[in-house]
Amino acid sequence: MRKFVKGNPDLCIGCRTCMIGCVVEHEGRRIFEIDPDGYDFNPRLHMVKTAKISVPVQCKHCENPACMAACPVNCIKVINDAVVIDTDSCIGCKSCVQACPFGAIDMVSKIGTQQADGSMRVVANKCDLCVGTGNGPACVRVCPTSALTLVDEEKLKEVVCDKRVATANAAKVFADAKEVE
Amino acid sequence: MTNKYSCYVLADPNKCTGCKACELACFAEHNKSNNGVGYTVGTVTIPVTPKLYLTKTKAYCMPIQCRHCEDAPCLNACQKHAIYRENSQVIVDQEKCIGCKDCVLACPFGAIAILPIGEKGKLKLQKDREVVKVASKCDLCKDIEGGPACVRVCPNDALELVDANADIEAKNIKTAEGLYVSRI
Repeated sequence: MRKFVKGNPDLCIGCRTCMIGCVVEHEGRRIFEIDPDGYDFNPRLHMVKTAKISVPVQCKHCENPACMAACPVNCIKVINDAVVIDTDSCIGCKSCVQACPFGAIDMVSKIGTQQADGSMRVVANKCDLCVGTGNGPACVRVCPTSALTLVDEEKLKEVVCDKRVATANAAKVFADAKEVE
Repeated sequence: MTNKYSCYVLADPNKCTGCKACELACFAEHNKSNNGVGYTVGTVTIPVTPKLYLTKTKAYCMPIQCRHCEDAPCLNACQKHAIYRENSQVIVDQEKCIGCKDCVLACPFGAIAILPIGEKGKLKLQKDREVVKVASKCDLCKDIEGGPACVRVCPNDALELVDANADIEAKNIKTAEGLYVSRI
């Protein structure tokens, strides 16, 4: 099963540190050196604030990704069990944006690449679980209120197992009461 | 006739011995027509994927399955609208499911698991040859003759199909009769 990062709206205060952590992790030191006007700030998760909640929304790394199925050039791949976009072969068709039911993918201009007409290439952008950095998701690490959790197979199993045991315990009470009757 | 409330299967931990006959029957019934699963081991060519999950605690055991909630958290969590209601029952559309695991986390009972599915006796694959994994949960053996297979096969009669409508009616009648006895 694939891992994914999940936000907890009860803990999130909407500070956007996760978004900054994401950009710094993916751009490295370069972000502090380049001209802010010539740069497209492109975090891979989006802070959503409604009247009731604030929580970042990011890729769920689905088992059968709708984005991967929709991509006409097969540039969305599974690498190290993370659903990752190969921005070098992305043609910016927005099929994946349309396919994702979570709004987890957006389009960003890719610095340093140009099209035939001289304009900057625009490619799909989404959470890659910080694959390849070796440190695990930056958003999880930087969140000051620990509102983000990396849900892996073990964590999911633990959550589900706890619920099943609680259900069994409740059923036991119910069955015992029935026997007394 | 459709029920007012959905039905569900509930196990009795005082009767369950943990034999997993329910899990096997569930798998066999759901994979009979599509994957040619028959009565012998040799006909099983895909992993055994039940829709109810035997759970063991230190003191007892029982299978956990879907309660077909009236205000189902899984249905409300699914952004892909792959979980729908049919005759009051909560059903996963495995063709639509993208395996995002939201329903797994939303279910308070742990009744949903993400499992591979078979097609014509082989594991179903995606475009990139990865195995298709979808949300798997009790569908109350819809379209299967005889009703829930788990209830039918349990050697200890530990599983029961609970019909809240009939249950309420029976209890109401009992209560009314009691009121008659205790009338003043």
